[in-house]
Amino acid sequence: MPLLPEYDLSGKVAILATTGGDQAPHLALALSEAGALVFTIARRQSHLTAVLQALEGSSFANRGGVVADLATTQGTSLAMEAFDHHDSPVDILVNDVQSMFAKPFDEITMEEWDEVQSRNLKSTFLLTQAVGRRMVDKQYGRIVNLVSGLAERGMINTSAFSASQAGLLSLTRSLAVEWGRHNIRVNALGTGWTTAEDIPLEVQQEELLVRYTPLHRKGHPRDIAPLLVYLCSESCDYTTGQAVYVDGGLNAHP
Amino acid sequence: MLDKLSLDGKTVIITGGGTGLGLAMVRALARAGANLAIAGRRQGPIDDAAAEVVALGRDAIAISTDVTDSTQVERLVTTTITHFGQVDVLINNAGAVQENVSKPLWDITDDEWHMVMNVNLTGPFYCSRAVSKPMSEQGHGKIVNVASGFGLRAGRDIYMYCCSKGGLIQLTRVLSFNLARYGVTANTIVPGFIPTSSTESDIRGTLPRSGDFLPIGKLGTPEDLGPIAVFLSSEASDYMTGEMFFADGGGLAAGLGPTGHAPLVALEP
Repeated sequence: MPLLPEYDLSGKVAILATTGGDQAPHLALALSEAGALVFTIARRQSHLTAVLQALEGSSFANRGGVVADLATTQGTSLAMEAFDHHDSPVDILVNDVQSMFAKPFDEITMEEWDEVQSRNLKSTFLLTQAVGRRMVDKQYGRIVNLVSGLAERGMINTSAFSASQAGLLSLTRSLAVEWGRHNIRVNALGTGWTTAEDIPLEVQQEELLVRYTPLHRKGHPRDIAPLLVYLCSESCDYTTGQAVYVDGGLNAHP
Repeated sequence: MLDKLSLDGKTVIITGGGTGLGLAMVRALARAGANLAIAGRRQGPIDDAAAEVVALGRDAIAISTDVTDSTQVERLVTTTITHFGQVDVLINNAGAVQENVSKPLWDITDDEWHMVMNVNLTGPFYCSRAVSKPMSEQGHGKIVNVASGFGLRAGRDIYMYCCSKGGLIQLTRVLSFNLARYGVTANTIVPGFIPTSSTESDIRGTLPRSGDFLPIGKLGTPEDLGPIAVFLSSEASDYMTGEMFFADGGGLAAGLGPTGHAPLVALEP
């Protein structure tokens, strides 16, 4: 199978931060398969265990990980201290920050609103600042923020979550411009309706939203894995400040 | 998971494949394993490109084609299918920039308007129409359109180029929505400023001479598009359709103006 060496991540060290959802193990596997050494920061032990089990099950060398609340400065410091046990620089940061929340706007409490913005947006701000400073020193870095297509479109009951995702997209644009001269590229990878479960097509298509998706199936983390690898690669040099959506055609849909 | 980035055994038609961005994409596609049908108006450059592909151990044919002539486009597709047995990917890369690309509105002639619209929008429509039937019948296929940042933003006195590239982005969306049910996807590559011999001779003064006005501080190279074209031609992009893939040095994230503008404003009390 001829594969372009442009997609190779050998020798690169990646930090993968996840605040929820089920795609992190697949993202870690993709980065590892491309040759990167992955260090995982997870909000919950169960998220971290899932990632590490996937990597060890495929016998990929990895840098382990840590459980930390990245929405606090203490949590971020703790995570970076754990990363520093390996005494290596960082080349890649992947923020998988899609802790989902849906509720009628009228019923959302201030605490819920703050929690969604903290988990998804504030944690990205704090970790990207901590990791990004090192990238600026090194004059090299690739940052990818996983975002939902709800950053672009509205949906009933998703106001708080959508606002967090639009915030991430906007952060992506401005940071790309601010750090462009430091050889740091910042992009977003957008997804639509996804699941990491392998659900038969006929069962998926019983759902209205699946039939509404032009490609008539839900996305799977496998669908975004090769693109994530490219966006994390050195050859992704002229693309920055943009979102690339892999969403089964939802964004082009009426 | 990454094997899907291989193009082993795939057949790709690319228009404008003899020079510039097209030639850089041809080289990357061939390195990734693709066989190529290379179209272009002039026979010399596409023959040379085909020879490069063959030297890499793949199969290639060079078919002189004017994409504004639907008869020639039909011949391009049937010749490709006769030779390779199938067509998996179409890359609509051929584009025109005319002499004096930037021209006051009142000086633009009917012919100048139609020439650029024909090459940049009608050509991709003809090519997409010609491959859509065989792709739909085989249940898979990928159409990749090469637009421009000028398809999303205005350029000073640049009418036809901006409008045709904007139309191409919209053609991609309509194709994606309607061909999804047949397993055929359509996406757009949106390059920013990438100097080539074509822009050197035609656009001249309208493009920035250096990357000083871009966030990353440098202009792109045709080679930047290689891995993107391979990704969009491969099964690795099967769940992506109707979308844009940008390669613009951050130009569209900011715009040329705000680059370097770094205000400091304290939080209001």
